[in-house]
Amino acid sequence: MSRKPEDRLDKIVSDLLRGRRLKLRGGDAEEKAAITAAARLAGARQAPQRMHPAFRNRLAGALEQTRSGGWMTRRGALVAGLGLAAGAAGGAFLSREMETQPRRAGGEPIDPANGRWVDVAALTDLPEGQGHQVVAGSIGAFLFRRGDSVSAVSSICSHLPCELWWSHRDGHLACPCHPAAFTPDGRPTNAYALPALNTVRVRVTAAGRVEVLGTE
Amino acid sequence: MTTEEQAGQSGDILELPAASRATDIALDELELVYAFIYARVGNRADAEDLTQQVAMKAIPRLRQTAPASAIRGYLFATARSVLGAFWSTRLGLSEAELHEDLALVIPAGPSPEAGIETVQQILTQLSDNYRRVLELRFLHGYSLKEVAAEMHSTVGAIKVMQLRALRAAAKVRIPE
Repeated sequence: MSRKPEDRLDKIVSDLLRGRRLKLRGGDAEEKAAITAAARLAGARQAPQRMHPAFRNRLAGALEQTRSGGWMTRRGALVAGLGLAAGAAGGAFLSREMETQPRRAGGEPIDPANGRWVDVAALTDLPEGQGHQVVAGSIGAFLFRRGDSVSAVSSICSHLPCELWWSHRDGHLACPCHPAAFTPDGRPTNAYALPALNTVRVRVTAAGRVEVLGTE
Repeated sequence: MTTEEQAGQSGDILELPAASRATDIALDELELVYAFIYARVGNRADAEDLTQQVAMKAIPRLRQTAPASAIRGYLFATARSVLGAFWSTRLGLSEAELHEDLALVIPAGPSPEAGIETVQQILTQLSDNYRRVLELRFLHGYSLKEVAAEMHSTVGAIKVMQLRALRAAAKVRIPE
């Protein structure tokens, strides 16, 4: 991490000028005024922007779906591909599967397109009440066992794209990139207005195996 | 109660024309919202995410036969709320902590045509050096090295000047 504020701000400016997303850190709040000014200058370099046709089409699809009665969350829309027919069909299938054993906590569940159940552990391997990190294809998760039940949340911070770690001492998931932490059910522990962690679909088979809905 | 405050409540319903014509109208209005947001976050990916958030939040609360002005007002009120949440989340600040900057980031009314005129208004209120470094960097797309060469300075000095110029730009208040 750059120590000098001018270096850090120039990184943000350079990213903006290359058309990249604003990737900010907790420490960037010190320069919030300069950052918002930079974003505004970057955004005003050209004539007022119009939506990219592909985005407009995706948005139209989402609006039609919303109006026809099926409310679609933003993340749900993104995961389903917003117009990818295969994703929509897969989502419907997964939804039916999930009805039997939903394990939800704080944030929205991750329903990957073309998701599949991945065996990640034996129930008996999971320590009671302690975070256990697993990977199911492209999905990273922390599992928490309570008796015979298991819940799971994403292992990626909801604010910055950093891998969380389980603090045994504090009993929470901590982000290494900034002072943010989350309870085992994915709720932020501090006063910051951080979103909850996404939950991850998890189930326990009759044979006592724990499976996470992940990807190939 | 302001429009923005109204947008934060779950019970209020505005009217929107029926069927897919409503989607077309909503999309045209969302074009303005997109331009409004893009001008404040400065990149396409975040602008698309936030515009989609606005659509998802606002559209389900709209119903048939509302005048376009009411729809637009509602969408922009939602856009202001979504932008506030975006900055507070990205910077790890509460919206109260961010409040002092909201006047810059989120103007009171929809002004999607602002663009370069707004930038020029900001730049004209800066000192010559600050204005020049921001013009070269943002409007002409110069690298730091090119700016340094143009201004007969060093990259390090230009980097510091860029930071100070942006801090100064943030303090400029423009009538909306």
